[in-house]
Amino acid sequence: MKMAWKEIQKNKARFIILGSIVFLVSFLTLIISGLSNGLSQDNAALIKDLPEGTFYLDEEADETYNLSKIDEELESDIIASYEDASALSIQMGFVNDDDDKQLSVAFVTEKEKQLFPKVKEGEVVLDESLQDNGVEVGDIVTNNQLSEELEVIGFVEQQKFSHAPVAFIHPRNYQEMYRVMEMQMVFIPGTDEVASFSGLEAFSNKDFLNTIPSYNAEQLSLNMIVWFLVVISGMLFGIFFYMMNVQKIGLYGILKAIGVKTSELFKMMWTQMIVITVIALGLSIGLTQIFSVIAPDGMPFHLTLATSVQLGLVFVVIGFIGATLSGLQIRKIQPLQAIQQGEV
Amino acid sequence: MAVFEVDQLIKSFKNGEVEEQVLNGIDLRLKEGEITALVGASGSGKSTLLTIAAGLQPASGGEVIFNGKNLTNMKQDDIRKIRAEQFGFIFQSSHLVPFLNVEDQLLLMLDVAGSKLSKKERKNEVARILKLVGMEHRTEAYPASLSGGEKQRIAISRAIIHQPKMLFADEPTASLDSKRSIEVMELIRELTKSLNITTLLVTHEDEMLAYTDKVITMKDGLIEPSA
Repeated sequence: MKMAWKEIQKNKARFIILGSIVFLVSFLTLIISGLSNGLSQDNAALIKDLPEGTFYLDEEADETYNLSKIDEELESDIIASYEDASALSIQMGFVNDDDDKQLSVAFVTEKEKQLFPKVKEGEVVLDESLQDNGVEVGDIVTNNQLSEELEVIGFVEQQKFSHAPVAFIHPRNYQEMYRVMEMQMVFIPGTDEVASFSGLEAFSNKDFLNTIPSYNAEQLSLNMIVWFLVVISGMLFGIFFYMMNVQKIGLYGILKAIGVKTSELFKMMWTQMIVITVIALGLSIGLTQIFSVIAPDGMPFHLTLATSVQLGLVFVVIGFIGATLSGLQIRKIQPLQAIQQGEV
Repeated sequence: MAVFEVDQLIKSFKNGEVEEQVLNGIDLRLKEGEITALVGASGSGKSTLLTIAAGLQPASGGEVIFNGKNLTNMKQDDIRKIRAEQFGFIFQSSHLVPFLNVEDQLLLMLDVAGSKLSKKERKNEVARILKLVGMEHRTEAYPASLSGGEKQRIAISRAIIHQPKMLFADEPTASLDSKRSIEVMELIRELTKSLNITTLLVTHEDEMLAYTDKVITMKDGLIEPSA
C-alpha cells in the first residue's frame, strides 16, 4: 500500500494522465446518463411516477395505448372489483393561452381520481413547465374541439408525457374533445398478483413505458452509449496497467527475487487503481452534480447523487476487472528474467 | 561445518530438439561466514549455479541443502519465504526500486523479511546500516540521483539489513570502475565477516578474489579440481 502510494507520488505525471482519462470518460458517462434519465423523465414522468401496478389495454390495440378502447361494462366491473383501480386516457393535443398562443400538451384524464389531481369539468391542472410560457393560475386556456373554456386551477411538478407537459382534465371534457366514450386503459396498483381479463392485455409499468413511441429507441441508444463508455473505461484501465506492468517486469522480478509475494504486487496495483478511480470519480460526480444545478432549463438533465454513486461503483468494479486481467502477467514473471534484464 | 550444500546438481535447457547440459553434477560445500567466489569462462555455468543455489530457478537434478532443508523439492512459496528471510541478493546492476528513496528501499526489505522491529527501531536500523556503508547522508535520495558506486552500496545495505544467513552476489562489481569495485568488495567482506554471513559470489575480475576466502573455478558445467 505504502509502495503503491510512493509510486504515485514519484510518477505523478503518469498517474495524472490515467486519472484525467478516467475523469473525462466517467464525466462524459455521467452527463450522458443524466441526459438519458432527463429524457426518460421528459418522455414518461407521468408513468414513472405512478406506483407499481398493472396497465390493461384492449387486446386488439396491438400494444398501442392510443388505439385502445376499454369496453365500458368491463371497465365498470373492474373498478367495482378493485378498490384502487382507475380508468384513464392519454392523448396528445394542444391548448391556446390568453394570447391565442398554441401550447402542446398531453391531455390526461382519469375517471376515479385515484392517481392524478382532482379537476372538475371546465378546469385544468398543468405541468409547471408551462409557467415558463407565461401561463398562470386563473388563466383561461381553450381548445378548438372543446365548446367550453378551461380554467387553470394549479400546476404539478414534473408531469410530462412524450416530451409534452401534461394537462389533467375532466373525463367529460376529454370525451367531448376526442369524441370517444371509452377510456383507453385501466390501471390497478399493486404487484401482488396480476389479474387477467378477457379481451385485455396486461402490462407492467416498465412494459407500458415501451409502448410509448420513441421511448424505447431513445433509452436504448443512450443506455448503449453509457455502457459502451463504461466498458471503454475498463479497457483503458486494462491497457494502461498492462503497459505499466510491461515496463515494470524487471522491477517486479527483482521484488519477487528478494521475497515480495505476488499477492503484494497485485495489492499494489489495485491500490493504485482504486486511488486513481476514486479521485477521478469524485471529481466527475461532483462536477456532474454542479452541472445538474446549473444546466439550462430547456435541457432535460436528471441525475441523482444515488445514481451517480451507483454508476461510480460500476466504474470501480470494471476498472478492477481491467487492471486485474492486465495484471495476470505479474504471476508469470520469473525473478531470473529481471536479473538478466539489467537495470530497472 | 557446511551451512550450505549442493549435491550432484544438474541443470539442462532444451534448445529446440537439442538438450543442453549446463551443470553436470556439481558438488559444493559452503562454510558458515566464508566468502566463496565462483569463477570461470563465460558459459561455464557459474551464474546458473548461483541462481539455482539462491532458489531463483529450479534444478533438473541433484539437491540444494540449506540449514538441513532441501530447496529443490520445496514449494515455491516456501522458497520465497527463505529468500525473503534468510537470503540476501546483490545483482550486477543495483536493481533498486526507482520510486523509493534510500531509506524506503531498506525499510521495504525489512518489511519483506517480516522484521519484528518497531517502526522506530526499523528507522534506527536503517540509519545504522547506512552509516556502515557510508551512505547516511543520502537517506532521502532516489536511485536516479545516485552514482553507480552509491547505488551498489545501497544494494549491499538492502541485501544485509535483515541479517540473512546467506548472501548471493552475481558480479556485484561488473558495472563499476576499478576504484569503486575495490571499495564495494571491501565493504562486502567487512559486512559479511562482521555479521557472519556466508557468501557465494560470481565474478570474472581476478582483482576481486583477494577479498574472498575460497575460489572455485568452473568449466563446462563442472568444478575444476583445485590446483
